[in-house]
Amino acid sequence: MGLPDRMKGMGSDGGWSPGALARASRGDEADERPPEQAILAASVALARALREQDLSVSVDSELVFFSALAELDVREESEVYWAAHATFVHSPGERRAFDTIFERFWAGDPLTVGKRGAEHGESDSRMGGAQHGGEALPQFRHEGKASAAVDGEKQRATREIPSAQGDQGASNQQRGILAAWSERETASDPQERLQYDTDELAALRQLAEEIKRSAPERRSRRCRPARVGHRLDVRKTVRNSMATDGEAFRLAYTAQVPRPRRLLFLCDVSGSMERYSRVLLASLKAAVGAARRAEAFVFATRLTRLTHSLDGRDLERALEQARAKVPDWSGGTRIGGALADFNRTFGRRGFARGAIVMVVSDGWDRGDPSKLAEEVRRLQLQARRLVWINPRPLGLDEQPLAIGMRAAMPFVDDFIPGHDPRAVAGLARLIGDLGGQRPRRSPVRAGAPHA
Amino acid sequence: MPGFDSIETLREAFTRQRYLMDEGLGTVVFLALKLRRPLLVEGEPGVGKTELAKALALATDAPLIRLQCYEGIDVHHALYDWDYPRQMLQLRAGGSAPLYSEEFLVRRPLLEALAHPGAVLLIDELDRADDEFEAFLLEFLSDFQVTIPEIGVVKAQEPPAVVITSNRTRDLHEALKRRCLYHWIDHPDLKREVAIARARLPGVGERLAHQVCAFVQDLRWLDLYRSPGVGETLDWAEAFHVLGRDRIDPATADRTLGTLLKERDDLERIRGAGLEALVERAEERATQFGRDGGNGGAA
Repeated sequence: MGLPDRMKGMGSDGGWSPGALARASRGDEADERPPEQAILAASVALARALREQDLSVSVDSELVFFSALAELDVREESEVYWAAHATFVHSPGERRAFDTIFERFWAGDPLTVGKRGAEHGESDSRMGGAQHGGEALPQFRHEGKASAAVDGEKQRATREIPSAQGDQGASNQQRGILAAWSERETASDPQERLQYDTDELAALRQLAEEIKRSAPERRSRRCRPARVGHRLDVRKTVRNSMATDGEAFRLAYTAQVPRPRRLLFLCDVSGSMERYSRVLLASLKAAVGAARRAEAFVFATRLTRLTHSLDGRDLERALEQARAKVPDWSGGTRIGGALADFNRTFGRRGFARGAIVMVVSDGWDRGDPSKLAEEVRRLQLQARRLVWINPRPLGLDEQPLAIGMRAAMPFVDDFIPGHDPRAVAGLARLIGDLGGQRPRRSPVRAGAPHA
Repeated sequence: MPGFDSIETLREAFTRQRYLMDEGLGTVVFLALKLRRPLLVEGEPGVGKTELAKALALATDAPLIRLQCYEGIDVHHALYDWDYPRQMLQLRAGGSAPLYSEEFLVRRPLLEALAHPGAVLLIDELDRADDEFEAFLLEFLSDFQVTIPEIGVVKAQEPPAVVITSNRTRDLHEALKRRCLYHWIDHPDLKREVAIARARLPGVGERLAHQVCAFVQDLRWLDLYRSPGVGETLDWAEAFHVLGRDRIDPATADRTLGTLLKERDDLERIRGAGLEALVERAEERATQFGRDGGNGGAA
C-alpha cells in the first residue's frame, strides 16, 4: 500500500496545523503540501492526540480512517466525525475524550489538552496544570504500584512528583484540591483511619494467595473429549466407526470443561476503608490478575471500575479517581447508591451473573438503609454467592454507624470479619470449597449470618 | 456488493425498508460497505442492532446469514460439519463416492457466507461466545477464508458484509475491535422515534404514535433499571391499537404497562409516581410536537 512509509515521514514534522483538513480539501495556497498529504498528516495528528488521551489507536485504525476519508466529503464535519468515531472509538466510555479532541481538531485548535482531563472531569480552571490527573495525588504514586504496596515498601513510582514539592507539600496540594470543593472535608482528613497491623495485612495477602490456589470453578458449555463421561460424542463415535465399516466399537465421550468462576470485588475506598481495600486489591492483582476472570470496582460515593480487571496501572488511576470523587473523605459512604450504580450499569450487563461477589466495606452508610438493603438483595439475586468482608474489629451492635451493614445482613450469604486473620484465611477455603455450590437461601431470610 | 453512491442514497434505501437511521449510523454503514470492514454495533437492548443487519440485507437485496452466538459455540456449529449419518449410510450401502467431499459437507453460517457473494453476515451477540471462538472469528474476519483439511481452502469471491452485535456482557477483545468499525446505537430522539413508529406500525394513528413516543421519551430520563427500547415502544403502541384506543389514557396505560417495563421495581415506581401526570405530560408534548416537529419533519 505504501502508506506507512509516507506516514513515518509525516509523523515527525508536527503534521497538523489548524484547519489543514479543510484547506487541503479546498486546495488553498496556504498549505503547500498536496491535499492528500495534508489530510494524511491531519489524520496522523488526530490519531496521536487520541492516543495521548489513552484511546487505543493502532496504526491500522489510522489507515482505515485515512481510507475512509477518501470515500467521504472531508468538508462535512459530521461525515468526518463519524468516520473518526467508527475507527478510533471502541466503547461508549471513550466518547467524551474523543469528542473533546475532535472538536479541537475540527476547529483547528492545538490538539494537546491535559492528559485524560476530560474523562476525569478535572478540566476545572481552579486546578493548575501540575495538579492535573496523576500528578495531583502523589500518595498513590508511592503505594499504588501493586507489588510495592503489598510489601509496604516505599518505592518511587514511574512518574516523579514535581521536584519543588516535597511529600508534605504535595499532600497539602491534594488538600487544596479538595478544599476547592468545600472547606469542611479537609478538616477531617485521614486521622480517623483504622489502624491495620501487619498481621491483618498479611492475612489479606494470604487470602489472595489462597484464592489463587483454590480458584472456584464452574462448568462451561464448552466440551472436550474425555475418556469417560456421561455425554456421548456422537460425531466422534460415528467417525471412529467408519474405520470399522460403520460398526461402533468404540464409544467416545465428552466432558464439560471447567472454567474459573468470575470473582467480582466491590471495594469501599472511602476514608478508613481505603488502605484496607487498596492492599486487598493490590494483592489480588498479583494473585488473580493472570486468570482474567476477576473484576474489581471501587466506590466511595460513586462507583469506579478498575477497567482492565486488576491491571496495576489502572488500579492506581482508579483509586485516584475514586478519591477525587469523594466529597467527604473520611466520613461515610453511600453504599446503597454505589451498589445501585453497579446494578443498573454493569449488573444489567451481566457482570454479577454467576459470579462470587465480594463486597469489602465496613457498612458505614450515610444513605437510606432500606435502599441499601434493596440493592444488596438485587445483587444477591444475580450473584452465585455474596460475601461481605468487614474489617471493623467491633461487633455490629457496638457500632452505631453500621446501620447499613445491619440492613444488608439478611441478603449476605457469607459474612467475614476482615480484621481476624483466621476468618480471612477461611474465606479462601470457603470460596474454593463452596464457590461451586449455590448457597441455601430461604425466600424470607432471618438476619443471622454465619461467620 | 450492491454499493451505494452516497450516504444519502444508503439512508433512503434503509428508509424504504422501514429502518430509519441517523446520520452517524448512515455514515458508518456506508464506510463499512465501502471499506469492506466488519461493523461492530453495540447499544442498549432494543435499539435495533439486529434489525440493522436485517435491513441491510433487504436494502442490498442480499441473503442474510445469521450466526447466533452462545457459550461453547465452536467450529462445528459456526463453520462446517460432516453429515455423519449420511456418510454412514453411504458406507453401509457400499457406495463408492468419497466420504469427505462437498456432498457430505454441512455448511454452517460462516461457510455459507463465503459461498454467497455479497451476503450479509450477522454475528449476533458475540459477547456470549467465549474467548476461543472470538480468536477463531478474528482469523476468519481478516482473511475471509477457511481451510477444511479434507477439501482445501475455501475463499470468498467477494467478502460478505459483516455486522457484529454485542450487548457488552463482557469486553470483546481489543484485536477484534480494531478489525471492525465501531458504532454505539443510542435511543432515538422523539422525532425519529415517532418516524420509526409510523413506519413500522402503519395502522397506528398519528396522535397515538406521538403520545406513546413522548411518554417513552420521558421514561428514558427517569433513572429506571431497564429503560424501554424502541422495540418496547412499538409493542406498547400496538397494545393500545389492538385495544382499540387512538390515544393514551391512564387506565389503559396502567393495564398495558407490562409491555413497556419489564422490571417489577420500575413498574411500581411509575405507578407510584402517578400515571395520570405522566400521561398528561405526554399528551402535551405530543400536541406540541404535532405543531412544531410535525411541520418541520414532514417537509
